[in-house]
Amino acid sequence: MKQIYFNNCLTSKPAPEVVETMIPYLKEKFYFPENFVSKGSKTAAELENFKKIIADSVVAKPSEIHFTTGGTSANNLAIKGYLTANSDKGTHIICSVIDYPDLLTNADFFEKSGFNVTYLNADKEGNINLEELKSAIRPETILFMTTLANHVVGTIQPIKEIRKILDSSNHKIAIHVDACEAYARIPIDVNELGIDLMSISAHKIHGPQGVGALYQRSGIRLGQICHGVTRIDNLETGGISIASIAGFSKAVELAFNDFKENTGKIRNLSDYLLKSIEEKIPYTLLNGPQGDKRSPHNVNISFDFIEGEAIMMMMDMHGVAISTGSACASQGLKPNYVMMALGRNHEQSHSSMKFTLSRYNTVEEIDYTVEKLAEVVEELRSRSPLYNKE
Amino acid sequence: MQYSQKVLDHFMKPHNVGKIESPDAQATEGSPACGDQVSIYLKVNPEELTIEDIKFQSYGCASNIATASIITDMAKGRTLDKAKKITWKEAADALDGLPPVKMHCSVLAVDTLRSAIKDYEIKHHLAEEAAFNKDAIVEELKKVIYPKVGEDIVTLKMVKYVGFENGVATIDVEIPKFDEHRDNVVEEIKEHLEKFKEIKEVKITM
Repeated sequence: MKQIYFNNCLTSKPAPEVVETMIPYLKEKFYFPENFVSKGSKTAAELENFKKIIADSVVAKPSEIHFTTGGTSANNLAIKGYLTANSDKGTHIICSVIDYPDLLTNADFFEKSGFNVTYLNADKEGNINLEELKSAIRPETILFMTTLANHVVGTIQPIKEIRKILDSSNHKIAIHVDACEAYARIPIDVNELGIDLMSISAHKIHGPQGVGALYQRSGIRLGQICHGVTRIDNLETGGISIASIAGFSKAVELAFNDFKENTGKIRNLSDYLLKSIEEKIPYTLLNGPQGDKRSPHNVNISFDFIEGEAIMMMMDMHGVAISTGSACASQGLKPNYVMMALGRNHEQSHSSMKFTLSRYNTVEEIDYTVEKLAEVVEELRSRSPLYNKE
Repeated sequence: MQYSQKVLDHFMKPHNVGKIESPDAQATEGSPACGDQVSIYLKVNPEELTIEDIKFQSYGCASNIATASIITDMAKGRTLDKAKKITWKEAADALDGLPPVKMHCSVLAVDTLRSAIKDYEIKHHLAEEAAFNKDAIVEELKKVIYPKVGEDIVTLKMVKYVGFENGVATIDVEIPKFDEHRDNVVEEIKEHLEKFKEIKEVKITM
C-alpha cells in the first residue's frame, strides 16, 4: 500500500540529499571543531559555512546563529536566557493563549517563579488581539513571545505590526518568535520584522532530527542556561551532531534555493486539498484563516457528526497519515486548546483534522486522500447517532 | 501504544451497526462534548426475556466503536439478566485488551447496554428505579477510569470520601497535582454524576 504523509510539522522525511550530505560526517568527518589541528580546524571552517547558510536564509549575520539540539532547546535558551539576564529591567512577559507548548510551559514556569504573564486572546481565525497587546504593555514588560505561524491552524502573526506597537512604549521589549512551523514556508527577514530571538528546527523542513538553531540579534543579552563544556556553541553546551548540522544546512539550501517554487507548490497543493474536500465532502468547516494570512503548508478542517481519532485511524488503514485535535487521540484526553481558544466547540475540536504538507506531496496523493477521506467520513457518519438526527 | 488486531477488525467492520425501528428499549450514554457517545437499541423476546436483536450507533474513536461492536455481539441471544452482568473488563478482554487510556470506552459501551436493559425492565415493570443514595454514587464512580492505568478510581482507592446530602454529592479524590489526567478525572466524575436528577451539585475536593 502506498504511504502518504501529511504530518510534516510533526516531523518530516529527511531529503535524500540531506542523508547523502550527512553520511561522510558520520563515517569519516566526525570531528568536533578545534583550533590548530588539521581535522578539527576543518570542521570549524565548515561550521562557519553552515552558520552562514542558516543566517542568509533569515537575513541575519552568521555570528547571530547558535546551533542547538532542536527547536525546543532553542526556545528554552531564548526564553530562559533572556528572562534571567534581563529580569533587573522588569518581570512582565506577554504571549498568547494559542502559542506552542514550548512557550506556554515556559511562561507557566516563570509565572510560578514570580514573573507576571499576560496571555493575549486570539480571534476565531487565530489572529492575536493587538488591542489587547496595546493595553497589556507595562513599564516592566521585557519580553513578547509568540508562534510565528500557529502550529494548529497556520495563522501567521503580524510581527512587523507587533514590533511597531512594542516600540511605541518608551522602553525596550524584546520579541522572541518560535518559527519552527513558519521557517522555510514563509519569507522571514529578522530585520524587517524586528525579531530579536527566533527558534528554528531542521526536522520540520526535511532535515535530520535533533538539531535546530537559535537566532540571537547582536546586542541582545542571554543568560547561561545550560552549563558545561563548550564544543559547538557557547549557549548549547556539550556536543551537537556535526552530521546533523551538515544535514540541516543542506535542508536549508534545498528549501531556499527554490524558495518561491517550493512554497508556491505547497500553497497550490494546500489550496487544491481544501477545495477538493469542500467539493466532495459536505458539512465541513475550515479552521483558521484563508489566503495569505495562513502558512501555505497547513490545512485544518473539522468534519461534523464524527470524531477525529476514528478518522485518523481509518485513514491510517488506507496508508494516509494525518493528525487530529480530538481529545481521544491525546494522552491527557483533552480537546485541543488552540481550537477551544478560537471559539470552536468541543465537537468541532474533536473532529478537527490537521494536514501539514510538504514539497514532496503530489496532486495524485491528494486525489487519493480526498477519495478515501470521503469514504471514511461517509462510513463514520453512517455509524453516528448525531448524523441521523439532522 | 497500539490497538490489538481485534480492536481494529471491529473498528473497520463493526457488527450490529445501525438503528432498530421501533425498538423495545433503547439508551444513549456519553456526550459529543466529551468525544464519545453510544446509542443502543434492543429487540427483546417478551417470553424468554432474551435479546433477539441489538444494534448500536456511535460517535467516537476507534475503541469506542470496537467496544460497542463487541458488547452487542456478546449480548445478542443472552437473557437480559445475563447480558447486564457483562463487565467492561470482559468486553475489553474479548477485544484482546485496550490501551489503559481507552479503557473508559469499554465502560461506556457496558453502561449503555445496561441502561438499555434497564429501559426495558422499567417499561415492563420488571424493575423499579432504585432508591438513590451514597451507594449509587460509589457504584457510578466505579465507571470512572483513571486513564494512566486503565482501572476505575474506586478499585484504585483514589476515592477517599463520598458524601450525599441535600442534593450535594461530595467526592474527595486523591490524585497528584501535576498528574496529566487530573482534569480529565474531574470531568469524568462530573459527567457521570451530573446525569442523576437527584444530584444538584457535585463538589470535588482533592
